[in-house]
Amino acid sequence: MEFATYKSDIWGREVIRGVSWDLLWLVVVAAFVAIALHAVYEAMRKRGDKPSSDGARVKRHDKIDRIYHWVMAISTIALLITGVLPIIGIEFAWLELHWIAGIVLTVVVVFHIIRSMFFKDASDMKITISDLKDPFDVANKPGKYSAAQKGMHLAITVLTLLVIVSGILMFAVIDTPWWERTNALSETTLGLVFFVHGITTLGLIGLICLHIYFALRPEKLFYTRSMIKGWISRDELDANHDAKRWAPDETT
Amino acid sequence: MASFDVMPDIQLYQPVELDDALSLADRYGDGGWVLGGGQDTYGWLKDRAKNPRAMIDLSGVESLRGIRETDDGIEIGATTTLHEIIRDERINRDFSLLAQAAAVVASPQIRNVATLGGNLAQDTRCWYYRRGLDCYRAGGNSCYADGPESMNREHAVLGASRCVAVSPSDTATAIVALEATMVVASASGERTITAEDFFAGPDTHITQMTSLEPGEILTAVRLPSKWAGKRFYFEKVADRDVWDFALVSIAVAMSMEGDSISDSRFVCGSVACTPHRLTNVESAARGKSLSEESAEAVAPLASAGAEPLNYNHFKLPLMENLVRRAMRG
Repeated sequence: MEFATYKSDIWGREVIRGVSWDLLWLVVVAAFVAIALHAVYEAMRKRGDKPSSDGARVKRHDKIDRIYHWVMAISTIALLITGVLPIIGIEFAWLELHWIAGIVLTVVVVFHIIRSMFFKDASDMKITISDLKDPFDVANKPGKYSAAQKGMHLAITVLTLLVIVSGILMFAVIDTPWWERTNALSETTLGLVFFVHGITTLGLIGLICLHIYFALRPEKLFYTRSMIKGWISRDELDANHDAKRWAPDETT
Repeated sequence: MASFDVMPDIQLYQPVELDDALSLADRYGDGGWVLGGGQDTYGWLKDRAKNPRAMIDLSGVESLRGIRETDDGIEIGATTTLHEIIRDERINRDFSLLAQAAAVVASPQIRNVATLGGNLAQDTRCWYYRRGLDCYRAGGNSCYADGPESMNREHAVLGASRCVAVSPSDTATAIVALEATMVVASASGERTITAEDFFAGPDTHITQMTSLEPGEILTAVRLPSKWAGKRFYFEKVADRDVWDFALVSIAVAMSMEGDSISDSRFVCGSVACTPHRLTNVESAARGKSLSEESAEAVAPLASAGAEPLNYNHFKLPLMENLVRRAMRG
């Protein structure tokens, strides 16, 4: 199995064409094997009582951040559906839907970056030495986000930025309502752009499988609820977080 | 691209039963090359631009040949030759549009062996693609025909999506105008699709000209009686009178009530990747008589929405003029 596919350019030289989509099945299988192993591990692991969702509530996500998250999720799913289904043989007119979803994703990501840099405390997502100790010490509870959540955020950030940058370059070489396509990129450069777009898409597919799995796990469902309603209970906070490292406001 | 005078080493099957042909097509999938008259086959294979593992020659399958009456019109077997269509009395009487279109395909020698199915399913003539370049249509990531220096005189002015190649089939416009139904068989059964849906644009099928999937074979074309004996117009404009592909062609079927057009189908060829219906022309033509005045009123609508490339702006007035000529009566 190869990572990339190659083609002959107009001069007969071998140049990269893009990612090898055979890897798609490898990524999907690897993600599901990881999920299965984790599910078995969690099933065998003894857990204490589940904290109650009743009682006092604390705010975990602002409304604007929740809207951002779900718009990003919908646009990402739309991008994956429109980008990957034609590759696996489900044919439809995907291109326009794909770049429209891509523009939506780009806009919300830019919005998120600006908001995180200037209007929020970005240190919430900063990975520290202390975070790295969390997984090995049950007594060491995280602040607002666990090491795993921060790691997932970092990985998705890097891959999303790469997929957006490569997507914008690909967008520039197709016809749109605003411009006619150009052949400004050499075939080698274009192939590399396709490769980056493809390989980051594969990475995102794997991470999104894991993200959805963890969002649906019983002991993590309160995080998913908080991404919908904005709050977690005081019990859930105390059971999962260190009040010294994260002290959110009470809410109704 | 390598070019050879000899065929590559390839498995040749010559089934005489349709079931055997379908079984072979199913076994080889996209590695099987189904051919009727073979007129768009040997060049590809000799040039090594396509490398199928097996050729499945349908010319021996008798059930795929011939023109039959049906309850609602006629059915033409996919391997019926263009010559047989041109000479068929029923087609000349009721569906002369198809006979006219078939009569301008290539040359007499080619029409003697070329089949209706092959003519409909033939690949595009884009020379960048046929030269063996890894363009979008060949599974690549670029189009060599749509660039500042590209030679794209014959390419699409409508319906392009990354690929700008056009359908070269002369009979395709006629069967879309006649509202034909295509009969497609595979090892898992038979399905029918409208002629309009049979031809596939690059927005959905960038590496194919039709919606035929690997393992499927076009077995017949059914012409409904709806358009039998109606008024028809066909014209093909090409650089040469014979043995050439259309720069623009038009096939028109008109149903008249007295002097007025009550219903019509205007279909342009070689302007898009699929036969292109001029639906706005059809709407505008409804209720009009065939006259110079009507022609002048309707013709400008023909090129609406067209986006010409560097070297094919001439196709726009050509489309309009062909509509004008069809409407003059």
